Parts: sequence; structure tokens; C-alpha cells
Amino acid sequence: MTRRLLSIAAAAAFLAAPPPCRALDGLMEVPFFMEAVRAQRLPSVEQRVPDEPAIAAFGRPGQRIGRQGGDLRILMASPRETRMLVVYGYARLVGYDYTFDIVPDILEAVDVVEDRIFTLRLRRGHKWSDGHPFTTADFRFWWEDVANNKELSPAGVPRELMVDGEPPQVTFIDAATMRFAWKRPNPYFLPSLAAPSPLYIYEPAHYLKQFHKRYADPAALKKLVERAGRRNWAALFNRVDNAYRNDNPDLPTLDPWVLKTRPPANRFVFERNPYYHRIDAWGQQLPYLDQVIMNIADAKIIPLKTGSGETDLQARYLRFDNYTFLKQGEKRNAYKLHLWRTAYGAHVVLYPNLNHKDPAWRELFRDVRFRRALSLAINRHEINQVVFFGLALEGNNTVLPDSPMHRPEYRAAWAKFDLKQANALLDSMGLSRRDSRGVRLLPDGRPLEIVVETAGESTEQTDVLELIGDSWLKAGIKLYSRPSQREVFRNRIFAGETQMAVWTGIENGLPTPDTPPDEFVPTSQQQLQWPKWGQHHETGGRSGEPVDMAAPRELARLREAWLRATARIERARVWRRILEIHAEEVFTIGLIGAVPQPVVADARLRNIPDQGVYNWDPGAHFGIYRPDQFWLDKLVQEAAR
Amino acid sequence: MLGYLVHRVLIMIPTLLAISFIVFVIIQLPPGDYLTTYIDELRSQGEQVSLDRIEFLRKEYGFDKPWWEQYAIWLVGMLQGDFGFSFEYSLPVKDIVGERLWLTFIVSFATIAFTWVVSFPIGVYSATHQYSWGDYGLTFLGFLGLATPNFLLALVLLYFAQVEFGISVGGLMDEQYIEQPWSWAKTLSVLEHLWIPVIVIGTSGTAAMIRRLRANLLDELRKQYVITGRAKGLPPFRLLIKYPLRMSLNPFIADIGSLLPQVISGAAIVSIVLSLPTTGPMLITALKSQDMYLAGSFLMFVATLTVIGVFLSDIALAALDPRIRLGGGIRR
Repeated sequence: MTRRLLSIAAAAAFLAAPPPCRALDGLMEVPFFMEAVRAQRLPSVEQRVPDEPAIAAFGRPGQRIGRQGGDLRILMASPRETRMLVVYGYARLVGYDYTFDIVPDILEAVDVVEDRIFTLRLRRGHKWSDGHPFTTADFRFWWEDVANNKELSPAGVPRELMVDGEPPQVTFIDAATMRFAWKRPNPYFLPSLAAPSPLYIYEPAHYLKQFHKRYADPAALKKLVERAGRRNWAALFNRVDNAYRNDNPDLPTLDPWVLKTRPPANRFVFERNPYYHRIDAWGQQLPYLDQVIMNIADAKIIPLKTGSGETDLQARYLRFDNYTFLKQGEKRNAYKLHLWRTAYGAHVVLYPNLNHKDPAWRELFRDVRFRRALSLAINRHEINQVVFFGLALEGNNTVLPDSPMHRPEYRAAWAKFDLKQANALLDSMGLSRRDSRGVRLLPDGRPLEIVVETAGESTEQTDVLELIGDSWLKAGIKLYSRPSQREVFRNRIFAGETQMAVWTGIENGLPTPDTPPDEFVPTSQQQLQWPKWGQHHETGGRSGEPVDMAAPRELARLREAWLRATARIERARVWRRILEIHAEEVFTIGLIGAVPQPVVADARLRNIPDQGVYNWDPGAHFGIYRPDQFWLDKLVQEAAR
Repeated sequence: MLGYLVHRVLIMIPTLLAISFIVFVIIQLPPGDYLTTYIDELRSQGEQVSLDRIEFLRKEYGFDKPWWEQYAIWLVGMLQGDFGFSFEYSLPVKDIVGERLWLTFIVSFATIAFTWVVSFPIGVYSATHQYSWGDYGLTFLGFLGLATPNFLLALVLLYFAQVEFGISVGGLMDEQYIEQPWSWAKTLSVLEHLWIPVIVIGTSGTAAMIRRLRANLLDELRKQYVITGRAKGLPPFRLLIKYPLRMSLNPFIADIGSLLPQVISGAAIVSIVLSLPTTGPMLITALKSQDMYLAGSFLMFVATLTVIGVFLSDIALAALDPRIRLGGGIRR
């Protein structure tokens, strides 16, 4: 993953798709700022963009250079979601491009040696949204005065920067160059910088120093703390310094749109960042859209409002079952409904609890024959037709066809509806005694009744369970579904009281060999098939239980091998082995995947892909498609009238 | 009378204390706390949040303290005018409510006015023309209004406005005025939008008021003093206004007690459906996300208003209706 990170990648992508007409010839002033520049309230665009601005690639099919101007309205459910503009804006030190490769963005270049020495180079002349220079001093401030300050970071240096319990050696070479070096490879470093909720390793030092004990005048700071009603300066610092929360209009940023409304509010205005670092090949500064306006409405009302055209770009809070309603309003309200792919490994997944506290059930769930039989006794095709209009993908909870790691057998293994084989497997386990209903009996005489718990939020899940219940009964297994409340749902699973749970599958179904395989290995309590093993890993052995089963232990060993691997091909090999084990062992019973995500966009909005991938990480929802390159085509609007 | 007043005022203190305790306990009852709902909300959209950060927030928000200590801090703070801190907004509670409170007052008073203006004449007409076609027709409408849940009416209205006219009826002002300082244009815009929520919220209240007024008035109309008045030759309208109508006004006054809290928290669900920037939706989201100080302070505010409202309506009743006597229970 070393060499392809060079900025050449971005340049190459740009060259591959020549701009429609003019080449780079001087910058054009942004109409939105024309007046401010003329009145000398703002320097001209040449002085605002970095000396070497990032030139946006328009390589995706159908992408065109646009025109500046226009507002975009979006809907969110809570004032807290001002952070979504950080996600959509997607200005990162390094970021994923639309093919899921990591390329430099805010940084001019990253030089990586052996995956352990990272030399970061900033763009000279890059400025914060208030016009103050953005230099390595901002990184140094973060590293020395925030990350290594006991009061501000009681947990110490962020986990992503720790390799074998050791922090990196950080060297600041000059105003634009710095180096992070570890003794061993750190494969988490760049992905965490590119994440939708990124690791911020820089902060606007010039603004934040007034809140920092080391720099601020004690009396002035005390007054600030009191006025804000905070307990101490650290609490206040954390309040004002939250680039991701994005709720402080005074905090300078590097994002394409800057918050202008002070919370609390019901309508937030984000204005274009005059110092944004990206331009197009015509010399127009990005973003194209002048303002983003975020209105707050209840999550349940958002599909309704979307259908009446009250938003120009919406995917959050729209669900697949809104599809028909949204389609109806498409013409009348001049929007376009796209269906994007989602990146969940599967949309509905059953999780047998391998940490169940009843030994009899635990043994049963740990028997691979039993898990295979459960999977074989499900008619996925029927579920797809009945609940998802046949639009989803049937099969296991594994990587998606778009991932380079995908092989059809991962999704198909033990996922074909075959009651005969399921019954044969169950008989071979010695579960052949049945009661009068035809339900099998456990060796201790209890009937084989499985309670599947749901978080009680979607009728989709209960519908699916209803269908499964019918076919399981033919294999001699009685299914009861039990809706609860999310908090209770999780706690019961963690405590080993739940037999089986239903939830969504792995978050990132589009891994590359360089993606950490953590989701497939017991590493987190949130992995509902083995919460206690995950907790054991998460807490470093302080709570939970150590893995006491062969195949998951093998998975943990493979993860170690992945962490130590230096060559991409070796990582790919490890990944395949992990996926094979999952396919064979059926730790989770995936049902249906790739359920499309409705995306509604104003019919005039350009450069938004018709078919995209809607995912959190990697993806940042719209982020990797660069909303700063979206623009409103006014001509279409006039023609439509 | 004075002793009674003092007694009533003093009894409010333990009442409010008890309410504050119950409010706090009930908000804390669901499993988890604000942070767990917060984490869940992030996770449901695919976001992750680091355990270190959560641990840090737990300390900062004081969730590591026992519940009675949290209660004590809140209670003492409230007595000093500090209503605590909203986690959801990361702001002190008193900074959040602001304009919402004013808009809520506007909507609520408009609704009350609408209710009275409409129900008064209709109620009188229905009672004086009992079992006429007009009475039946209005009664039918009244029952319809009473039986239709407000939020359903709002949804139906939204749907038809959308499908038939292609407009959206939500909101309380045109978009460009939101979060702007008050101006003449903004006021006009609010007035333009006001009638829909007022009708939607007011319908069932109006219907109920019509029925009550009609029933009360019917009782009075059959009494002997009315017959006497009529026999003495008082004009029918003057008679009606002068005696039986006054007697049947009690429900209007007794309602003040329940009106005040409605003014603040009322019609929350309608407000959500119509996206009104009032306090109701805020209370509901605060309760859902267990933003306990915001929700708690809100409920306390509503409780205080209820207590005061009941007190006021009792005094008003005693003052206006000479038939009502204090201490009636003592003699028995």
C-alpha cells in the first residue's frame, strides 16, 4: 500500500479524464465572495487557496466540471447531526477515492516506508477557514498539548496510534513536513485518518490556545469556564474543540462548508469555506454549492418530507420500504430517486450465542452441524421475494461481490434451502427424538425451542422470522420471536441469556486486503455471536471469557498474522483463510444482503452517481463521491418549467 | 380566606418536591442512560465510537455518581436557577428553550382563543335549540372532532396538501425567517402559517368544550329561576346571558388549571408531524434519548405550572361563584 499513496495517483486520475475544454489557467473569483473581495473584507482567491491546490479529479463516468452557486437543503433528525456535514464534506488528510483506494487530500503527499514510517507533507499556503495558516504547528499543538495532556486525554494517546502499547515517535521537520514513526507496522494509521469520523491529529492551535491552561491567561480562562458553566478548563476545552461534532461556529475548519448558525437551532446554515483547498481544472474553487441548509425534523417524518420535495439530497432516515412512496413523488417534486448498494455483509442475520450460559444450549450452538442445519433449513429465496421484492442478494453474512476478496462460495456455502440435509444433520447429532408437535427434543428432554430476540424496531425482522419459523418447524425446530428494547436486547446477549438474536451483518462488506479483519474475529463485545470473547479482547482480559473453541482461536491467530504481514499478497491470503473459515463454520447465519438504499437527489443535482455504494466506513455516506463537486444545473430547472 | 391562601401556597412546596423526585426516578427507570442511547443511535447508522471517549464522557456528565447524588445536584441547582446541562445539545438547559417557548405560547394562546371563540356560540346554540337539525348537525361534527386524534388530522391534512396542491403545510414560518430575529415580515409569516396548527390542535378541545357547555347550559335552562325570569317577561336573549350562561361558565374557569401545562407541553405529537418549532417535540426527544436534565427541568416546569394553574382556578372559582364555599368538608 506504499507507493500508490503518492499524489501521483490523484494526478493520474485527472489526466485519464481530460477536462471538457480549458486547462488550468489562473483562478476565477467565486461569485459568492465577489462583493467581499471587492470591499477588501476577504483576500482574492489566489491568496486564499494553497500554493499548490488540490485539483479535483472528474474521472468517474458521467462526471462533469460544474458551475458555482446554489444552495442545497438536507434534512436531519437532531441538532447534533451537524456532524454529518463533516462526514459529507469529507475533507481528510488522506481519504478514500470512489474506488476505495486511499489518496492524499488535505496533505500534498504521504510517503510510507515499510508501513511504519509515515512522512506527511502539507500544502504550502493552506489556510484555516478564518484565514490563519495551517501548518505543522497545529499538529504539534495536538500532539504535545492535547494527546499527551493528562487532563485532556485521560486515556492517553488514541488507540489507533498505539502499536504494541507504544506511541509513535513524532518529528516536526519544517512548517509543512512531519513524520510519524513506529517500530512495527501500523496498518490502522491511514484508515483512521480517512474514516468518516476521522482521527484528528491536528487542531487550530491559534484559536484553541485561549482555552488551554498552558497558554491562556489564568484569570481570563477562569472567566471563560465560569461563563460556559463548565466544571474545569478541560471540560470547556473539549466543548469548544470538537471538529467532528461541528457545533461550534467559532472553531476554524478545513471542511468545504463552515457552520454559520450557533446552536441551538432548527435550521443550520453552512457556508462555503473561502479558504478551501480544492479547485477544478478550470480554476474554480470548490465546493460548487454556496450553502448547505440543514433543517431538523423528526426521523419518522423525514421520508414524508422527502416525498414532498423538501430536501435536495437525502438518504439518511430513508429506508427500503419507503421506496414505493418516494417513487410516487418523483415527477411532481422534480427529484430523482436512486437506489444505491449498501455495504452491510448482510441486511438480516441470525446470531446464535456461542456464549450462552446454559451448557446444553451452548454445546448445541457450538456444534457446527447444528449451525449448518439451521442455515440449510431457511428458504432465503422466499424471504427475498416476500419481503424485499426479490431485489436483495440471498446468502451468507460475508464480503460483497464488489470486494476484491469476494468468492461466490463464501456467500453460497450452506445457504441453499435443503430440508433433507438439515434433517439428516440434526439426526446425526442424536436429536432424533421428537414430541407430539414434531419438535425435536434435546438429550435432557427439553424441546428444541429457540427464542430469537429482536431489538423491536423493525417489522421487517419479525416478518422474516415468521417465514423462517415455518421452514424450521419442518426441520423439527420451533422458533419463537421476541421483540424487546434495544438496551435490554444487548444486555441480555452480553450476559449470555439470549439464545439467538437478529441484527444486521458485518458493517464493511467491501474490504480490501488492507482492511483490518477485525469484524470477522472475536474483537468486540458488539459481535453478537461471541460477545464474551469479544469483551475479553476489548478489555485486554479484564472481563469476558477467553476463547475456548478451536475455530475462533484460529481466527484470532490469523488476525495476528495479518497485523504482522508486510506484503499485500500475504494479507490477502490471511483474509481468504478467514473468510473460508467463516463460510464453513457458519458462526452467523446470514439471510439477505445488499438491500438497496434509496437516495433522493434534486433532479438538477449533477455529479452524484446514479449507482453508488452507501456505506459508513469506508464511504462516509456521500463523502467518497465528493459532494464538494456536486452542482446544480440551472438550465435543466428552467427547461422543466 | 387569607389563611386558606397561605395554606395552599405552602402545600405546593412538598407537592413539587415529591413531583421532582418522581420525575427524576421515572426518567432514570429505563435501562441505560443518555450515553447508551447515544452510542446506539450512532451505531444504528454505522458509526463507531471509542470506548475511551465514552468513559471520558461518563465522567464528565457525572454518570459515575450514584443516582441520589445526581438527584441532589439537580435539585440544589434548580433552587439556584441552574437547571443543569443538556447532553443532547451540549448547552445549559436554560439556553436552549428560548424562542421555542415564545412560539409555543403563541400557538397555544391562539388555540385557546380559537377554542373559546368557536365553542361558545355553538355550545349556546346547541343547548337552546336542543334536538333541532342544527343541534344534530353540530353534535355530529363535534363528535367527529372529538373522535379524530389530532395527529391523524395533521397527517391527513399533510397528505392532501401534498397530493392535491403539491405544497407542504408544515412549519410555523417561511424558511427564510427561521433562526432570524423577529421582524414585521416574520410575524406576518408566522400568522400565515398559524391557522393550520391552531385548527388541528384546537379541534378536539373545541368539540369537548361544546359538549360541556351544552350539557351545563341544558341543566340550567330547566331550572325554576329561568322559568321565573321568562314569566316576568325578560327578553329571551337577555335572560340567557344574564343568568343560565353565567352559571354554566364554571368549566371555562376550572379548565385554567389544565390549560397552563398544555400551553407548554401540549400537542407534542401534532408538533412533530407538522414540524412546529415548539417545545413539545423537544420534550419528547429529550425523554427518548434520556437527556435527563432537559427532560426533567421541562417536566418540573410543567408541573409547577399545573400546580399554580389549579391554585389560580380554585381562587377564581371561589371569587366568581358565590355558591362555592371554603372548608365545606369540615362541617360534615
